[in-house]
Amino acid sequence: MDAMLGAQTARPSGKGKKFLNYTQRYWTLYLLLLLPVVYFFIFRYSPMAYILIAFKKYSIVQSVWEMPWAANNGFEHFIKAFSNRDFFYALRNTIMLNMLDLVAGFPMPVILALLLNELAFKRFKRVTQTIVYMPHFLSWIIISGLALQLFAPTSGLVNIALGKFGVEPVPFLNDPAHWVGTYIFLGIWRDMGWGTIIYLAALTGINPELYEAASVDGAGRFRKIWNITLPGLRPTIIVLLIMNLGRVLGSEFDRPYALKNNLVSSVSNVISTFVYTNGIRGQQFSLTTAVGLFQSVVCVIFLLAANALAEKFGERGIW
Amino acid sequence: MKTVSKTISKALACLLLVTLLASCGGPSATPPPVTPSTLPAVVTPTPAPEEPAGGGPVSITVEIFDRSNDGGSKPEDNFYTDFIKEGVLRDHNIEVTFVPVPRWTEVEQLNNLLAAGDAPDICVTYSYPTIQTYANMGAVLDMAPYLEDNKAQLPNLWGLLGETNIYWDKDPETGEIWAIEALLRHNPRIGTFVRQDWLTKLNIAEPTTLEEFEAMLYAFKENAETLLGADADKIIPFSTSYDVGWRADHLMTMFVADDITDKDVYINGFDDRHFLLPGIKEGIRVLNKWYNDGLTWNDFPLYGSGDTTEDNLIKSGYVGSFMHNWDYPYRNGEEGIHHQLRAIAGEDAVYTSVEPFKNAAGVYRKFLPGPIDRKVFLPATNDEPVASMLYLDWLSTVENRKFLQIGEEGVTHEVLEDGAIKTVAVTGEKIMNSPNNIDYTIIINGLDLGDPELTMDSYAYNYSGVDASLVQKGYEISINDGRIGKNVQVGQITAEEGMGPVLTEKRDIVLDQAVIAPVDQFDAVFDAGMQDYLASGGQAIIDERTAAWEKVFGDAVSLD
Repeated sequence: MDAMLGAQTARPSGKGKKFLNYTQRYWTLYLLLLLPVVYFFIFRYSPMAYILIAFKKYSIVQSVWEMPWAANNGFEHFIKAFSNRDFFYALRNTIMLNMLDLVAGFPMPVILALLLNELAFKRFKRVTQTIVYMPHFLSWIIISGLALQLFAPTSGLVNIALGKFGVEPVPFLNDPAHWVGTYIFLGIWRDMGWGTIIYLAALTGINPELYEAASVDGAGRFRKIWNITLPGLRPTIIVLLIMNLGRVLGSEFDRPYALKNNLVSSVSNVISTFVYTNGIRGQQFSLTTAVGLFQSVVCVIFLLAANALAEKFGERGIW
Repeated sequence: MKTVSKTISKALACLLLVTLLASCGGPSATPPPVTPSTLPAVVTPTPAPEEPAGGGPVSITVEIFDRSNDGGSKPEDNFYTDFIKEGVLRDHNIEVTFVPVPRWTEVEQLNNLLAAGDAPDICVTYSYPTIQTYANMGAVLDMAPYLEDNKAQLPNLWGLLGETNIYWDKDPETGEIWAIEALLRHNPRIGTFVRQDWLTKLNIAEPTTLEEFEAMLYAFKENAETLLGADADKIIPFSTSYDVGWRADHLMTMFVADDITDKDVYINGFDDRHFLLPGIKEGIRVLNKWYNDGLTWNDFPLYGSGDTTEDNLIKSGYVGSFMHNWDYPYRNGEEGIHHQLRAIAGEDAVYTSVEPFKNAAGVYRKFLPGPIDRKVFLPATNDEPVASMLYLDWLSTVENRKFLQIGEEGVTHEVLEDGAIKTVAVTGEKIMNSPNNIDYTIIINGLDLGDPELTMDSYAYNYSGVDASLVQKGYEISINDGRIGKNVQVGQITAEEGMGPVLTEKRDIVLDQAVIAPVDQFDAVFDAGMQDYLASGGQAIIDERTAAWEKVFGDAVSLD
């Protein structure tokens, strides 16, 4: 490729000729781009036509173009969703759980990456790193099984151990407030290590001369972290923060679905489980498409707002 | 070097283009899966009363539940499917292919299959509202013309199901039949089980009233050390699960007025756990007291559907009593509770059925289902409705369904001296993946040998390795003073559409939270939960059912 890019020598005159020349030179590059573009078109853009289901009366045997429009100028399902209390609870819980995840979970990989970075004994660092990111590969179904084994009030290991010290069982899973804590904790435990990878990669990009210079100036370990490492990580942190903010209303399905139980439904029902119960199981596909569309629109707004904010503070943002 | 890399890049790019075009050809050649737009919304049948005309055999596909049972055979390909395939091909020149669908997620799976236009020609589900929803979308064939025009060709199907089951779901106005109801041959539903050996050990008589039952639970708790020794702290006098409505049914319905009218049963009958019947709250209050007195398994709401933790507690011998399907402890042969419990807790450890829940009128009333079971329907993509009907007729033939239910003599059953059939559990290729192969005999649930007396005699031997008297006792108690469900044909209740899963989930939440509430907060928790249930669609269903009843039956409150 470099050979081709560097081979640009003659400069033809005239716009048409210029274009012809350009295509002649670079058509292979565009051809290579074609595959991902086709992928996105087939699997990401064309299914978007089905967003129309939100405004139509869904039928399993008709194409989206043939389905009749829903009542109230097509907005029937939105009206229905917004007058459904469960939807509001799901919305509230989604935002609450995701915000807590962000506040408690976002700094963790940064801190862990900084700690790992300071380790002098390289082999220990590598082993630790591997161990902390392994839980990421466990599915939430397995983690929820582990959680039951550990945290159930009478048969959970943790509560049995606490009982030996005369402590009353802690309702980790069966009291809404405790459950939220368990939910956030398990999320951090699972993904903290995985999140460090990107920061550790960014750390290698910091010029070592800066550290040497700081040492010469008499900076200690914390001074170096504060004045060199963290500023070096800043662009990465900002980009990841923007992407996380874009997900504040997005909701994963397996985590709340696997961890929820009937006693904590007041906090564990989120938009994705609402969609599952009402849409997939209750076959109210139009209603839940409307909910999904609303969710996506809000996510995009969040993303744009966070990006604009980042740019305002002098960062590059994500585009 | 430059030219070489340039050539290679171009060659690669061309290769890419070729593969791209080739792969594009695939999807575009087949129509988009969700849009079988050629399908008319309503399919009018062409009368084809004769069997498929000469030429090659006609092919149909049939849904079969996959239970993923331990040591089971492939549900779509085994000894019994071979029997069906050979028989149907021989008798009707129809080739049958089975399509496995996971038993516990059948509705979700059917959604996918129907949306993709891949649904089997003959579908079966326990959920009528699902079929109604599909029918409203034009995805289901109206079976009425096929059943009626071909009545002469379908003597066995009509003979087995009769007008009751065939017309059960018939729309009173349009006459459409979206599904026919399989026959439920026996209708025992729920039973209460107590550890016989514990009663003996503590010298307690079998409880016959709620007070006695409760006293027994406290006695279990107080004598835990006698009963379980070192495991005394693990004792669970009464076990229940997240599905309280099922697992405390008789306790709940004993508080329903004995003279409740058919109308009230119907308009409050959307929930199949009797959640809406007036009075059941008092039953939950009793359970709430038991929970707070430490008589139940505290972790029950944490374990969901299909979890085996509670079964394992029962098998380990920690559980004194529980309520469940009338034959629950006797099911599943060697793997079942009956055998496992005896292996772990000793030969005399056995569950016996008791009948303590008497209502205010002094009657052990039980709400039993009508004679209906699974619902069989034909999706609109079915091109062979007549062949499908012939398949159902073939299954309904006594010899065929009898073979499927009891299998081969000397292998899966033996004939006792009095002629009764005793089922024998087998492993290997002739294993029955479901009791009596219920999954293959989609038009009937429950042993039926063609002769009512022989059937009843054989029924108790249907549980391999379990003393027939235990089964007999459970059966009799479960149907004693039963009130059998009636068919109320008032047409479709639109408020019910799509509400099943949502309200079922809510019901479980309300019941679970009410059971574990502190005693002084029980009323507040239960009432708030019920309020939420009604506001989320429950009340709309009750209102529409009331209106529909009054439209058809006027002021009458009884169906008789």
